[in-house]
Amino acid sequence: MGRLPRAALLALAACAFVVQAKPLRVEQVAPGVYLHVGQHKDVEDGYDGDIANIGFIVGNDAVAVIDTGGSYAVGMALKEALRAITQLPVRYLINTHVHPDHVFGNAAFIDATVTDQRPQIIAHARLPPALTARREGYLRTLHKQVGAAAKGSVLIGPDRTVQDRLTLDLGGRKLILTAWPAAHTDNDLTVFDAASGTLWTGDLLFIERTPALDGDIHGWLAATDTLQTMPAAIVIPGHGPLTRAKHTALARQHDYLSALLGDVRAGVKRGAGMTATMTTAAAAERGRWQLFDAVNPRNVNYLYPRLEWE
Amino acid sequence: MNTALLRACFLLFMACGLSLLALPASVPVAAAALGATGAAPWAALQQSHFAGKKLEAAPFILISAPVRAASGDQVPFAFSIDHPMTAARHIKSVTVLVDENPVPLTAVFHFTPASGKAAAATRIRFESDSPVHVVAESSDGHWYVNTVSVKASGGCSGPMAGDDPAALAAAGKMKMALAAPFQAGAVNKARLLIRHPMYTGLQRDLSTNGFRPAFFINKIDVSYNGKPVLQADTSIGLSENPTIEFPFVAERPGALQVLLQDNTGASFRQTLAVGGDT
Repeated sequence: MGRLPRAALLALAACAFVVQAKPLRVEQVAPGVYLHVGQHKDVEDGYDGDIANIGFIVGNDAVAVIDTGGSYAVGMALKEALRAITQLPVRYLINTHVHPDHVFGNAAFIDATVTDQRPQIIAHARLPPALTARREGYLRTLHKQVGAAAKGSVLIGPDRTVQDRLTLDLGGRKLILTAWPAAHTDNDLTVFDAASGTLWTGDLLFIERTPALDGDIHGWLAATDTLQTMPAAIVIPGHGPLTRAKHTALARQHDYLSALLGDVRAGVKRGAGMTATMTTAAAAERGRWQLFDAVNPRNVNYLYPRLEWE
Repeated sequence: MNTALLRACFLLFMACGLSLLALPASVPVAAAALGATGAAPWAALQQSHFAGKKLEAAPFILISAPVRAASGDQVPFAFSIDHPMTAARHIKSVTVLVDENPVPLTAVFHFTPASGKAAAATRIRFESDSPVHVVAESSDGHWYVNTVSVKASGGCSGPMAGDDPAALAAAGKMKMALAAPFQAGAVNKARLLIRHPMYTGLQRDLSTNGFRPAFFINKIDVSYNGKPVLQADTSIGLSENPTIEFPFVAERPGALQVLLQDNTGASFRQTLAVGGDT
Protein backbone atom coordinates (compact mmCIF):
# COMPACT_ATOMS: atom_id res chain seq x y z
CA MET A 1 0.00 0.00 0.00
CA GLY A 2 1.44 3.37 -1.00
CA ARG A 3 1.67 6.57 0.93
CA LEU A 4 -1.40 8.23 -0.37
CA PRO A 5 -3.98 5.57 0.48
CA ARG A 6 -2.50 5.29 3.96
CA ALA A 7 -2.69 9.03 4.47
CA ALA A 8 -6.20 8.98 3.14
CA LEU A 9 -7.16 6.24 5.55
CA LEU A 10 -5.74 8.15 8.48
CA ALA A 11 -7.49 11.29 7.42
CA LEU A 12 -10.73 9.41 7.10
CA ALA A 13 -10.31 7.75 10.44
CA ALA A 14 -9.59 11.10 12.07
CA CYS A 15 -12.53 12.57 10.28
CA ALA A 16 -14.81 9.81 11.45
CA PHE A 17 -13.88 10.50 15.03
CA VAL A 18 -15.20 14.02 14.94
CA VAL A 19 -18.59 12.81 13.73
CA GLN A 20 -20.71 13.51 16.73
CA ALA A 21 -24.39 13.89 16.95
CA LYS A 22 -26.66 15.93 19.10
CA PRO A 23 -28.95 13.43 20.79
CA LEU A 24 -32.34 13.13 19.20
CA ARG A 25 -35.29 14.15 21.34
CA VAL A 26 -36.95 10.99 22.60
CA GLU A 27 -39.83 10.57 24.97
CA GLN A 28 -40.60 7.63 27.24
CA VAL A 29 -44.13 6.75 26.18
CA ALA A 30 -44.45 3.60 28.31
CA PRO A 31 -41.99 2.04 30.76
CA GLY A 32 -38.89 1.23 28.70
CA VAL A 33 -40.45 2.40 25.43
CA TYR A 34 -38.80 5.47 23.89
CA LEU A 35 -40.12 7.31 20.87
CA HIS A 36 -38.89 10.07 18.64
CA VAL A 37 -41.71 11.57 16.59
CA GLY A 38 -40.62 12.67 13.13
CA GLN A 39 -41.79 15.92 11.56
CA HIS A 40 -44.34 16.20 8.80
CA LYS A 41 -42.04 17.41 6.08
CA ASP A 42 -42.47 16.34 2.51
CA VAL A 43 -39.68 14.32 0.95
CA GLU A 44 -39.29 17.00 -1.71
CA ASP A 45 -39.47 20.08 0.44
CA GLY A 46 -37.10 20.71 3.33
CA TYR A 47 -36.50 17.01 3.90
CA ASP A 48 -33.81 16.35 6.47
CA GLY A 49 -34.12 12.61 7.03
CA ASP A 50 -36.06 13.10 10.25
CA ILE A 51 -39.69 12.54 9.30
CA ALA A 52 -40.42 9.02 10.52
CA ASN A 53 -41.19 7.79 14.00
CA ILE A 54 -38.19 5.92 15.35
CA GLY A 55 -37.24 4.70 18.81
CA PHE A 56 -36.26 1.81 21.00
CA ILE A 57 -37.46 -0.62 23.64
CA VAL A 58 -35.30 -1.49 26.64
CA GLY A 59 -35.45 -4.91 28.30
CA ASN A 60 -33.48 -6.27 31.28
CA ASP A 61 -30.62 -7.50 29.10
CA ALA A 62 -30.74 -5.69 25.83
CA VAL A 63 -32.29 -3.04 23.65
CA ALA A 64 -34.19 -3.28 20.36
CA VAL A 65 -34.18 -0.24 18.09
CA ILE A 66 -37.25 0.13 15.90
CA ASP A 67 -36.39 2.02 12.73
CA THR A 68 -33.29 4.14 12.57
CA GLY A 69 -34.21 7.29 10.64
CA GLY A 70 -33.53 8.69 7.22
CA SER A 71 -29.77 9.24 7.33
CA TYR A 72 -26.62 8.15 9.09
CA ALA A 73 -26.74 11.45 11.01
CA VAL A 74 -30.28 10.80 12.28
CA GLY A 75 -29.24 7.26 13.27
CA MET A 76 -26.25 8.66 15.17
CA ALA A 77 -28.48 11.13 16.98
CA LEU A 78 -30.83 8.33 17.94
CA LYS A 79 -27.88 6.30 19.22
CA GLU A 80 -26.73 9.27 21.31
CA ALA A 81 -30.19 9.55 22.83
CA LEU A 82 -30.22 5.83 23.53
CA ARG A 83 -26.80 5.93 25.18
CA ALA A 84 -27.93 8.73 27.46
CA ILE A 85 -30.65 6.41 28.72
CA THR A 86 -29.10 2.94 28.85
CA GLN A 87 -25.74 1.22 28.50
CA LEU A 88 -27.33 -2.15 27.68
CA PRO A 89 -26.26 -3.57 24.34
CA VAL A 90 -28.39 -2.91 21.28
CA ARG A 91 -29.13 -6.45 20.22
CA TYR A 92 -31.64 -5.84 17.44
CA LEU A 93 -32.36 -3.21 14.81
CA ILE A 94 -35.86 -3.82 13.56
CA ASN A 95 -36.75 -2.26 10.20
CA THR A 96 -40.50 -1.90 9.76
CA HIS A 97 -40.12 -1.63 5.95
CA VAL A 98 -37.69 -0.62 3.22
CA HIS A 99 -38.45 3.09 2.97
CA PRO A 100 -35.39 5.29 3.29
CA ASP A 101 -36.77 7.53 6.02
CA HIS A 102 -36.90 4.44 8.25
CA VAL A 103 -33.71 2.51 7.44
CA PHE A 104 -30.85 4.80 6.42
CA GLY A 105 -29.79 5.15 10.07
CA ASN A 106 -28.96 1.44 10.40
CA ALA A 107 -25.32 2.20 9.64
CA ALA A 108 -24.98 4.31 12.77
CA PHE A 109 -25.46 1.22 14.92
CA ILE A 110 -23.16 -1.10 13.02
CA ASP A 111 -19.66 -1.13 14.43
CA ALA A 112 -17.44 -3.31 12.26
CA THR A 113 -14.67 -3.78 14.84
CA VAL A 114 -16.77 -5.40 17.54
CA THR A 115 -18.47 -8.13 15.58
CA ASP A 116 -19.89 -10.01 18.57
CA GLN A 117 -21.72 -6.92 19.73
CA ARG A 118 -23.00 -5.92 16.34
CA PRO A 119 -26.78 -5.71 16.51
CA GLN A 120 -28.76 -8.04 14.33
CA ILE A 121 -30.84 -6.26 11.70
CA ILE A 122 -34.27 -7.83 11.37
CA ALA A 123 -36.81 -7.17 8.62
CA HIS A 124 -39.62 -8.68 6.57
CA ALA A 125 -38.57 -11.54 4.28
CA ARG A 126 -39.44 -9.41 1.25
CA LEU A 127 -37.31 -6.46 2.32
CA PRO A 128 -34.00 -7.70 0.84
CA PRO A 129 -35.25 -7.87 -2.77
CA ALA A 130 -36.98 -4.51 -2.37
CA LEU A 131 -33.71 -3.06 -1.11
CA THR A 132 -31.79 -4.54 -4.05
CA ALA A 133 -34.19 -2.99 -6.51
CA ARG A 134 -34.13 0.43 -4.88
CA ARG A 135 -30.72 0.84 -3.27
CA GLU A 136 -29.06 2.96 -5.96
CA GLY A 137 -32.08 5.17 -6.47
CA TYR A 138 -32.48 5.75 -2.73
CA LEU A 139 -28.85 6.78 -2.39
CA ARG A 140 -29.01 9.22 -5.28
CA THR A 141 -32.26 10.67 -4.02
CA LEU A 142 -30.94 11.14 -0.49
CA HIS A 143 -27.92 13.03 -1.80
CA LYS A 144 -30.19 15.21 -3.88
CA GLN A 145 -32.49 15.82 -0.92
CA VAL A 146 -30.09 16.49 1.94
CA GLY A 147 -26.70 17.13 0.28
CA ALA A 148 -23.80 16.97 2.72
CA ALA A 149 -26.09 15.70 5.48
CA ALA A 150 -26.25 12.39 3.59
CA LYS A 151 -22.65 11.73 4.67
CA GLY A 152 -22.15 8.21 5.97
CA SER A 153 -25.55 7.02 4.83
CA VAL A 154 -25.43 3.52 3.40
CA LEU A 155 -28.19 0.98 3.18
CA ILE A 156 -27.57 -2.15 5.20
CA GLY A 157 -29.96 -5.03 4.73
CA PRO A 158 -31.16 -7.50 7.35
CA ASP A 159 -29.22 -10.35 8.94
CA ARG A 160 -32.41 -12.15 9.69
CA THR A 161 -35.84 -11.99 8.08
CA VAL A 162 -39.37 -12.69 9.20
CA GLN A 163 -41.66 -14.79 7.05
CA ASP A 164 -44.74 -14.50 9.25
CA ARG A 165 -43.92 -14.16 12.94
CA LEU A 166 -40.90 -13.91 15.21
CA THR A 167 -40.54 -13.43 18.98
CA LEU A 168 -37.50 -11.61 20.35
CA ASP A 169 -36.50 -11.65 24.01
CA LEU A 170 -34.86 -8.56 25.48
CA GLY A 171 -34.72 -10.12 28.96
CA GLY A 172 -38.03 -10.14 30.78
CA ARG A 173 -39.57 -8.50 27.75
CA LYS A 174 -40.80 -10.15 24.59
CA LEU A 175 -41.35 -8.46 21.27
CA ILE A 176 -43.63 -10.10 18.75
CA LEU A 177 -42.80 -9.24 15.14
CA THR A 178 -45.45 -9.80 12.49
CA ALA A 179 -44.79 -9.81 8.73
CA TRP A 180 -47.76 -8.56 6.70
CA PRO A 181 -49.01 -9.27 3.20
CA ALA A 182 -48.41 -6.37 0.77
CA ALA A 183 -50.06 -3.22 2.13
CA HIS A 184 -48.23 0.13 2.56
CA THR A 185 -45.25 -1.64 0.92
CA ASP A 186 -44.76 -5.34 0.21
CA ASN A 187 -42.52 -5.66 3.27
CA ASP A 188 -44.35 -4.21 6.28
CA LEU A 189 -43.44 -5.52 9.71
CA THR A 190 -45.14 -4.61 12.99
CA VAL A 191 -43.74 -4.92 16.50
CA PHE A 192 -45.82 -5.65 19.58
CA ASP A 193 -44.33 -5.15 23.04
CA ALA A 194 -46.43 -7.35 25.29
CA ALA A 195 -45.05 -5.82 28.51
CA SER A 196 -46.48 -2.37 27.80
CA GLY A 197 -49.15 -3.29 25.26
CA THR A 198 -47.44 -1.06 22.71
CA LEU A 199 -48.03 -1.81 19.04
CA TRP A 200 -45.48 -0.27 16.69
CA THR A 201 -47.18 -0.28 13.29
CA GLY A 202 -44.51 1.19 11.04
CA ASP A 203 -46.20 2.81 8.06
CA LEU A 204 -49.17 0.47 8.20
CA LEU A 205 -50.69 3.40 10.05
CA PHE A 206 -50.37 7.09 9.31
CA ILE A 207 -51.74 9.69 11.69
CA GLU A 208 -52.06 13.32 10.52
CA ARG A 209 -49.73 12.82 7.55
CA THR A 210 -51.40 11.68 4.32
CA PRO A 211 -50.88 7.91 3.94
CA ALA A 212 -48.42 7.19 1.13
CA LEU A 213 -49.11 4.13 -1.00
CA ASP A 214 -46.23 2.01 -2.30
CA GLY A 215 -47.68 -1.48 -2.07
CA ASP A 216 -51.16 -2.81 -2.50
CA ILE A 217 -54.21 -0.73 -1.66
CA HIS A 218 -56.48 -3.75 -1.15
CA GLY A 219 -53.91 -5.28 1.19
CA TRP A 220 -53.58 -2.01 3.06
CA LEU A 221 -57.31 -1.68 3.56
CA ALA A 222 -57.37 -5.27 4.83
CA ALA A 223 -54.40 -4.61 7.14
CA THR A 224 -56.17 -1.51 8.48
CA ASP A 225 -59.14 -3.73 9.35
CA THR A 226 -56.93 -6.39 10.95
CA LEU A 227 -55.12 -3.80 13.06
CA GLN A 228 -58.53 -2.81 14.44
CA THR A 229 -58.88 -6.27 15.95
CA MET A 230 -55.44 -6.44 17.52
CA PRO A 231 -55.25 -5.63 21.22
CA ALA A 232 -53.00 -2.64 21.94
CA ALA A 233 -53.02 -0.04 24.71
CA ILE A 234 -50.75 2.28 22.77
CA VAL A 235 -50.30 2.45 19.03
CA ILE A 236 -47.24 4.10 17.54
CA PRO A 237 -47.80 4.92 13.85
CA GLY A 238 -45.03 5.27 11.29
CA HIS A 239 -45.78 8.98 11.09
CA GLY A 240 -47.63 11.25 13.47
CA PRO A 241 -48.31 11.21 17.19
CA LEU A 242 -48.97 7.99 19.07
CA THR A 243 -52.52 7.19 19.99
CA ARG A 244 -54.40 5.38 22.71
CA ALA A 245 -57.51 5.50 20.55
CA LYS A 246 -56.46 3.42 17.60
CA HIS A 247 -60.02 2.87 16.44
CA THR A 248 -60.39 6.49 15.37
CA ALA A 249 -56.98 6.65 13.70
CA LEU A 250 -57.48 3.42 11.79
CA ALA A 251 -61.00 4.41 10.75
CA ARG A 252 -59.64 7.69 9.36
CA GLN A 253 -56.98 5.91 7.40
CA HIS A 254 -59.59 3.49 6.12
CA ASP A 255 -61.75 6.41 4.99
CA TYR A 256 -58.87 7.93 3.07
CA LEU A 257 -57.77 4.72 1.38
CA SER A 258 -61.35 3.82 0.45
CA ALA A 259 -61.97 7.28 -1.00
CA LEU A 260 -58.73 7.06 -2.98
CA LEU A 261 -59.53 3.62 -4.32
CA GLY A 262 -63.13 4.48 -5.16
CA ASP A 263 -62.30 7.75 -6.90
CA VAL A 264 -59.37 6.41 -8.89
CA ARG A 265 -61.36 3.38 -9.95
CA ALA A 266 -64.21 5.64 -11.07
CA GLY A 267 -61.73 7.84 -12.94
CA VAL A 268 -60.30 4.84 -14.79
CA LYS A 269 -63.77 3.59 -15.60
CA ARG A 270 -64.99 6.78 -17.20
CA GLY A 271 -61.61 7.49 -18.86
CA ALA A 272 -61.04 10.69 -16.93
CA GLY A 273 -57.28 10.42 -17.38
CA MET A 274 -54.63 10.19 -14.72
CA THR A 275 -53.74 13.88 -14.61
CA ALA A 276 -57.33 15.00 -14.07
CA THR A 277 -57.84 12.30 -11.47
CA MET A 278 -54.76 13.44 -9.57
CA THR A 279 -56.52 16.68 -8.72
CA THR A 280 -59.94 15.22 -7.96
CA ALA A 281 -59.46 11.83 -6.28
CA ALA A 282 -60.11 11.68 -2.54
CA ALA A 283 -60.76 15.44 -2.57
CA ALA A 284 -63.27 15.03 0.25
CA GLU A 285 -60.39 13.95 2.50
CA ARG A 286 -58.21 16.95 1.76
CA GLY A 287 -58.93 18.90 4.94
CA ARG A 288 -58.16 15.95 7.19
CA TRP A 289 -54.54 15.32 6.26
CA GLN A 290 -51.24 17.12 6.19
CA LEU A 291 -49.15 17.27 3.00
CA PHE A 292 -52.24 16.18 1.08
CA ASP A 293 -51.38 18.16 -2.05
CA ALA A 294 -47.95 16.54 -2.23
CA VAL A 295 -48.79 12.96 -1.29
CA ASN A 296 -52.28 12.42 -2.71
CA PRO A 297 -51.29 13.03 -6.36
CA ARG A 298 -48.42 10.56 -5.93
CA ASN A 299 -50.88 7.97 -4.66
CA VAL A 300 -53.08 8.54 -7.70
CA ASN A 301 -50.03 8.35 -9.95
CA TYR A 302 -49.20 5.01 -8.32
CA LEU A 303 -52.68 3.58 -8.34
CA TYR A 304 -54.20 4.75 -11.61
CA PRO A 305 -51.95 2.75 -13.97
CA ARG A 306 -52.46 -0.34 -11.80
CA LEU A 307 -56.24 -0.08 -11.77
CA GLU A 308 -56.34 0.22 -15.55
CA TRP A 309 -55.62 -3.49 -15.67
CA GLU A 310 -57.63 -4.50 -12.60
CA MET B 1 6.23 -0.03 6.42
CA ASN B 2 4.75 -0.75 9.81
CA THR B 3 2.12 -3.31 8.93
CA ALA B 4 0.68 -3.39 12.44
CA LEU B 5 0.04 0.35 12.30
CA LEU B 6 -1.37 0.03 8.84
CA ARG B 7 -3.70 -2.72 9.98
CA ALA B 8 -4.78 -0.71 12.96
CA CYS B 9 -5.50 2.25 10.68
CA PHE B 10 -7.42 0.01 8.38
CA LEU B 11 -9.55 -1.42 11.17
CA LEU B 12 -10.16 2.05 12.48
CA PHE B 13 -11.18 3.09 9.03
CA MET B 14 -13.46 0.09 8.69
CA ALA B 15 -15.01 0.92 12.01
CA CYS B 16 -15.51 4.61 11.59
CA GLY B 17 -14.96 5.62 8.04
CA LEU B 18 -16.42 2.87 5.92
CA SER B 19 -19.75 4.47 5.56
CA LEU B 20 -18.18 7.86 4.97
CA LEU B 21 -16.11 6.52 2.12
CA ALA B 22 -18.58 4.16 0.61
CA LEU B 23 -21.17 6.70 -0.27
CA PRO B 24 -19.26 9.41 -2.07
CA ALA B 25 -17.56 6.65 -4.06
CA SER B 26 -20.75 4.89 -4.99
CA VAL B 27 -22.73 7.85 -6.15
CA PRO B 28 -20.70 8.92 -9.20
CA VAL B 29 -20.51 5.25 -10.22
CA ALA B 30 -24.25 4.90 -10.08
CA ALA B 31 -24.72 8.15 -11.94
CA ALA B 32 -22.28 7.10 -14.65
CA ALA B 33 -23.93 3.71 -15.00
CA LEU B 34 -27.20 5.41 -15.65
CA GLY B 35 -25.70 7.62 -18.28
CA ALA B 36 -26.17 11.02 -16.66
CA THR B 37 -23.93 13.20 -18.75
CA GLY B 38 -24.20 16.45 -16.87
CA ALA B 39 -22.84 18.92 -19.43
CA ALA B 40 -25.24 20.08 -22.10
CA PRO B 41 -26.71 16.77 -23.23
CA TRP B 42 -29.05 18.61 -25.57
CA ALA B 43 -26.19 19.88 -27.72
CA ALA B 44 -24.94 16.31 -28.10
CA LEU B 45 -28.43 14.96 -28.72
CA GLN B 46 -29.09 17.56 -31.36
CA GLN B 47 -25.85 16.61 -33.06
CA SER B 48 -26.60 12.88 -33.01
CA HIS B 49 -30.28 13.03 -33.99
CA PHE B 50 -30.62 16.16 -36.12
CA ALA B 51 -27.19 16.82 -37.60
CA GLY B 52 -27.30 19.48 -40.25
CA LYS B 53 -30.92 20.42 -39.52
CA LYS B 54 -31.91 23.89 -38.47
CA LEU B 55 -34.30 23.53 -35.55
CA GLU B 56 -36.74 26.44 -35.33
CA ALA B 57 -38.17 27.36 -31.94
CA ALA B 58 -41.88 26.52 -32.16
CA PRO B 59 -44.24 27.72 -29.46
CA PHE B 60 -47.06 26.11 -31.49
CA ILE B 61 -45.78 22.74 -30.31
CA LEU B 62 -47.86 22.55 -27.14
CA ILE B 63 -46.39 20.32 -24.48
CA SER B 64 -48.23 19.15 -21.40
CA ALA B 65 -46.17 17.69 -18.57
CA PRO B 66 -46.00 18.31 -14.84
CA VAL B 67 -43.34 20.73 -13.60
CA ARG B 68 -42.75 18.29 -10.78
CA ALA B 69 -43.84 14.73 -11.44
CA ALA B 70 -45.47 12.74 -8.69
CA SER B 71 -43.49 9.70 -9.81
CA GLY B 72 -40.63 9.15 -12.23
CA ASP B 73 -42.21 5.88 -13.37
CA GLN B 74 -45.38 7.23 -14.92
CA VAL B 75 -45.10 10.87 -15.90
CA PRO B 76 -48.11 12.05 -17.88
CA PHE B 77 -46.87 13.63 -21.08
CA ALA B 78 -48.66 15.01 -24.13
CA PHE B 79 -47.91 17.13 -27.16
CA SER B 80 -50.22 18.73 -29.67
CA ILE B 81 -49.01 20.69 -32.66
CA ASP B 82 -50.97 23.56 -34.14
CA HIS B 83 -50.03 22.99 -37.75
CA PRO B 84 -52.01 22.14 -40.90
CA MET B 85 -52.40 18.43 -41.64
CA THR B 86 -53.16 18.60 -45.34
CA ALA B 87 -51.62 16.42 -48.00
CA ALA B 88 -49.56 19.38 -49.15
CA ARG B 89 -48.43 20.52 -45.76
CA HIS B 90 -48.41 18.46 -42.59
CA ILE B 91 -46.30 17.24 -39.71
CA LYS B 92 -44.59 14.00 -40.71
CA SER B 93 -42.83 13.02 -37.52
CA VAL B 94 -42.42 14.04 -33.92
CA THR B 95 -39.40 12.97 -31.87
CA VAL B 96 -39.54 12.98 -28.07
CA LEU B 97 -36.22 13.15 -26.25
CA VAL B 98 -35.76 13.14 -22.48
CA ASP B 99 -32.29 14.65 -22.31
CA GLU B 100 -31.08 13.16 -19.04
CA ASN B 101 -32.51 9.69 -19.39
CA PRO B 102 -30.15 6.75 -19.90
CA VAL B 103 -31.86 6.31 -23.28
CA PRO B 104 -33.04 9.84 -24.19
CA LEU B 105 -34.85 8.81 -27.38
CA THR B 106 -38.24 7.95 -25.96
CA ALA B 107 -40.35 7.74 -29.10
CA VAL B 108 -40.70 8.89 -32.69
CA PHE B 109 -44.28 9.34 -33.82
CA HIS B 110 -45.13 9.33 -37.52
CA PHE B 111 -48.26 11.13 -38.67
CA THR B 112 -50.19 11.44 -41.91
CA PRO B 113 -53.00 13.77 -43.04
CA ALA B 114 -55.33 10.95 -41.91
CA SER B 115 -54.08 11.57 -38.37
CA GLY B 116 -56.03 14.82 -38.40
CA LYS B 117 -53.63 16.33 -35.92
CA ALA B 118 -50.04 15.70 -34.84
CA ALA B 119 -50.76 14.93 -31.22
CA ALA B 120 -50.35 12.16 -28.68
CA ALA B 121 -50.72 11.72 -24.95
CA THR B 122 -48.82 9.02 -23.10
CA ARG B 123 -46.79 8.36 -19.94
CA ILE B 124 -43.06 8.38 -19.92
CA ARG B 125 -40.19 7.67 -17.56
CA PHE B 126 -37.79 10.17 -16.07
CA GLU B 127 -34.69 8.86 -14.36
CA SER B 128 -33.85 12.32 -13.03
CA ASP B 129 -34.88 15.95 -13.43
CA SER B 130 -34.65 16.61 -17.12
CA PRO B 131 -35.70 18.80 -20.02
CA VAL B 132 -37.81 17.05 -22.61
CA HIS B 133 -37.44 18.15 -26.23
CA VAL B 134 -40.16 17.68 -28.80
CA VAL B 135 -38.93 17.98 -32.38
CA ALA B 136 -41.34 18.03 -35.30
CA GLU B 137 -40.53 17.55 -38.97
CA SER B 138 -42.93 19.04 -41.48
CA SER B 139 -43.60 17.79 -44.99
CA ASP B 140 -42.31 21.10 -46.37
CA GLY B 141 -38.88 20.55 -44.89
CA HIS B 142 -39.00 22.47 -41.63
CA TRP B 143 -37.77 21.20 -38.29
CA TYR B 144 -39.42 22.65 -35.22
CA VAL B 145 -38.56 22.28 -31.55
CA ASN B 146 -40.07 23.08 -28.20
CA THR B 147 -39.07 22.03 -24.70
CA VAL B 148 -40.22 21.87 -21.08
CA SER B 149 -38.47 20.74 -17.92
CA VAL B 150 -39.73 18.13 -15.50
CA LYS B 151 -38.56 17.33 -12.00
CA ALA B 152 -38.76 13.61 -11.35
CA SER B 153 -36.62 10.66 -10.44
CA GLY B 154 -36.04 6.94 -10.55
CA GLY B 155 -38.26 6.06 -13.49
CA CYS B 156 -35.79 3.95 -15.44
CA SER B 157 -33.91 2.07 -12.74
CA GLY B 158 -36.61 1.84 -10.11
CA PRO B 159 -38.39 -1.29 -9.01
CA MET B 160 -40.63 -3.08 -11.44
CA ALA B 161 -44.31 -3.20 -10.65
CA GLY B 162 -45.28 -5.84 -13.18
CA ASP B 163 -42.65 -8.26 -12.01
CA ASP B 164 -44.89 -11.24 -11.76
CA PRO B 165 -45.67 -14.17 -14.05
CA ALA B 166 -49.24 -13.01 -14.64
CA ALA B 167 -48.09 -9.62 -15.92
CA LEU B 168 -45.50 -11.23 -18.18
CA ALA B 169 -47.97 -13.73 -19.55
CA ALA B 170 -50.35 -10.90 -20.36
CA ALA B 171 -47.71 -8.85 -22.23
CA GLY B 172 -49.14 -7.56 -25.47
CA LYS B 173 -52.73 -7.55 -24.34
CA MET B 174 -54.55 -4.40 -25.40
CA LYS B 175 -57.63 -2.38 -24.61
CA MET B 176 -58.82 0.25 -27.01
CA ALA B 177 -61.73 2.65 -26.91
CA LEU B 178 -62.75 6.01 -28.26
CA ALA B 179 -62.05 8.83 -25.85
CA ALA B 180 -65.27 10.57 -26.91
CA PRO B 181 -68.38 9.58 -28.88
CA PHE B 182 -67.76 8.88 -32.58
CA GLN B 183 -68.17 11.75 -35.02
CA ALA B 184 -68.26 10.94 -38.71
CA GLY B 185 -66.21 13.25 -40.89
CA ALA B 186 -64.23 14.61 -37.98
CA VAL B 187 -61.07 14.08 -36.00
CA ASN B 188 -61.79 11.41 -33.39
CA LYS B 189 -59.62 10.42 -30.51
CA ALA B 190 -58.80 6.87 -29.41
CA ARG B 191 -57.17 5.61 -26.26
CA LEU B 192 -54.99 2.53 -26.43
CA LEU B 193 -53.83 0.69 -23.31
CA ILE B 194 -51.09 -1.89 -23.72
CA ARG B 195 -50.20 -4.42 -21.09
CA HIS B 196 -46.42 -4.73 -21.11
CA PRO B 197 -43.73 -4.61 -18.41
CA MET B 198 -41.43 -2.42 -20.59
CA TYR B 199 -38.28 -3.59 -18.79
CA THR B 200 -35.61 -0.98 -19.26
CA GLY B 201 -32.51 -3.14 -18.87
CA LEU B 202 -31.52 -0.91 -15.96
CA GLN B 203 -33.65 -2.58 -13.34
CA ARG B 204 -32.22 -5.13 -10.96
CA ASP B 205 -32.99 -8.76 -11.52
CA LEU B 206 -33.75 -9.82 -7.99
CA SER B 207 -32.87 -13.46 -8.49
CA THR B 208 -29.42 -12.88 -9.98
CA ASN B 209 -28.56 -9.44 -8.61
CA GLY B 210 -27.67 -8.49 -12.17
CA PHE B 211 -29.91 -6.50 -14.49
CA ARG B 212 -33.11 -7.71 -16.06
CA PRO B 213 -32.71 -7.60 -19.85
CA ALA B 214 -34.64 -4.90 -21.67
CA PHE B 215 -38.03 -6.08 -22.91
CA PHE B 216 -40.24 -3.46 -24.48
CA ILE B 217 -42.69 -2.53 -27.21
CA ASN B 218 -40.69 -0.97 -30.03
CA LYS B 219 -43.34 -0.43 -32.70
CA ILE B 220 -46.94 0.69 -32.67
CA ASP B 221 -48.77 0.78 -35.95
CA VAL B 222 -52.34 2.07 -36.14
CA SER B 223 -54.50 2.30 -39.23
CA TYR B 224 -58.11 3.24 -39.83
CA ASN B 225 -59.87 1.38 -42.63
CA GLY B 226 -56.45 0.40 -43.92
CA LYS B 227 -54.99 3.92 -43.94
CA PRO B 228 -52.10 4.59 -41.54
CA VAL B 229 -53.03 7.15 -38.88
CA LEU B 230 -50.21 6.69 -36.40
CA GLN B 231 -46.93 4.86 -36.31
CA ALA B 232 -44.58 5.06 -33.40
CA ASP B 233 -41.10 3.74 -32.79
CA THR B 234 -40.96 3.41 -29.04
CA SER B 235 -38.28 2.69 -26.49
CA ILE B 236 -37.75 1.98 -22.81
CA GLY B 237 -38.68 5.57 -22.02
CA LEU B 238 -42.34 4.65 -22.36
CA SER B 239 -43.80 3.67 -18.99
CA GLU B 240 -44.80 0.19 -17.98
CA ASN B 241 -48.23 -0.74 -19.38
CA PRO B 242 -48.06 2.03 -21.97
CA THR B 243 -51.06 4.14 -22.80
CA ILE B 244 -51.38 6.27 -25.91
CA GLU B 245 -54.16 8.63 -26.79
CA PHE B 246 -54.10 9.70 -30.43
CA PRO B 247 -56.31 11.43 -33.01
CA PHE B 248 -57.49 9.99 -36.31
CA VAL B 249 -59.80 11.18 -39.08
CA ALA B 250 -62.87 9.00 -39.61
CA GLU B 251 -64.98 9.87 -42.62
CA ARG B 252 -67.32 6.99 -41.85
CA PRO B 253 -67.66 4.07 -39.47
CA GLY B 254 -64.92 1.52 -39.80
CA ALA B 255 -62.16 -0.45 -38.16
CA LEU B 256 -59.29 0.92 -36.12
CA GLN B 257 -56.48 -1.61 -36.25
CA VAL B 258 -53.39 -1.81 -34.09
CA LEU B 259 -50.30 -3.86 -34.68
CA LEU B 260 -47.68 -3.93 -31.96
CA GLN B 261 -44.23 -5.37 -31.98
CA ASP B 262 -41.81 -5.87 -29.10
CA ASN B 263 -38.03 -6.15 -29.13
CA THR B 264 -38.16 -9.95 -29.12
CA GLY B 265 -40.03 -9.82 -32.45
CA ALA B 266 -43.38 -10.84 -30.99
CA SER B 267 -46.34 -9.04 -32.49
CA PHE B 268 -49.87 -8.39 -31.27
CA ARG B 269 -53.03 -7.20 -32.97
CA GLN B 270 -56.24 -5.58 -31.90
CA THR B 271 -59.17 -4.14 -33.83
CA LEU B 272 -61.85 -1.74 -32.68
CA ALA B 273 -65.06 -1.33 -34.64
CA VAL B 274 -65.76 2.38 -34.72
CA GLY B 275 -69.06 4.13 -35.24
CA GLY B 276 -70.97 1.03 -36.29
CA ASP B 277 -74.60 0.30 -35.42
CA THR B 278 -75.27 3.81 -34.23
